[in-house]
Amino acid sequence: MRHVLWMALFASLTAFVFGVVAKGSDRQRLMYGLKVFAEFMVIAFILGWVLYFLPLR
Amino acid sequence: MVAKEINQPTVKAPGRAWLLGFAGWAVPGLGHVLQGKWVRALILGGAVWTMFIVGLVIGGHLFRIGPNDQGFAAVLQLLPMSANFGAGLLYLGCWLTNTGFAEQAQRVTYEYGNTFLLCAGLLNYLAMLDAFDIAAGRKQ
Repeated sequence: MRHVLWMALFASLTAFVFGVVAKGSDRQRLMYGLKVFAEFMVIAFILGWVLYFLPLR
Repeated sequence: MVAKEINQPTVKAPGRAWLLGFAGWAVPGLGHVLQGKWVRALILGGAVWTMFIVGLVIGGHLFRIGPNDQGFAAVLQLLPMSANFGAGLLYLGCWLTNTGFAEQAQRVTYEYGNTFLLCAGLLNYLAMLDAFDIAAGRKQ
C-alpha cells in the first residue's frame, strides 16, 4: 500500500508541474494536469498487474 | 498551430530573462517569485522542493562523478548527475556538505527516493524554462 502512495505522490507532483508549464487557458491546463496524473496511475496499475503474472523468479 | 509558432520571427531574449532563468534554476521557484508570479512559484517551487526533500528522506541518493569513476563508469554517472544538477543550489548545497550521496540500497524506498531526486532536477529545468519564457515575453 505504501508503494502506491509514493507513486501517487510522485504522479501528483509531476502532474502539478506539467499542468502549470503547459500552454492554454486555466481550464485546459487543469484538465491536462489531471490527464497526466490519471495516465501515470493507470499505466502504473496496468504494468503492476502485468509484472505480477510474469514468472520472473 | 505548431507550424505557426515555428514560423514566428525569433526575438532575442533580453538579459533579464537569462538572469531570471538562472535564478529559477538556482532556487526552485525564485524565477517566478521575482516576476510576481506567486501562484506559479508556489506550485512549481513547492513541487520541486517537496520532491527533493522527500527523495532524500526516503533514502534516495544523489549522483556525482567520484575519483573512483574512470572511463565508462564516469560517463554512466554523467546522465543522472545532470538530472540531479537541475535542482540548482539544493544539489550544490548537498555536494558541498556531502549530504545524500551515500547509497542506502537496503531501504525499501531507495529506488523511489532516487526517482524523486532525479525528477526534482528535471522538473526544475522545466520550471526554469517557464520562468525564462515568461520573462522573454513568449508566454503569459
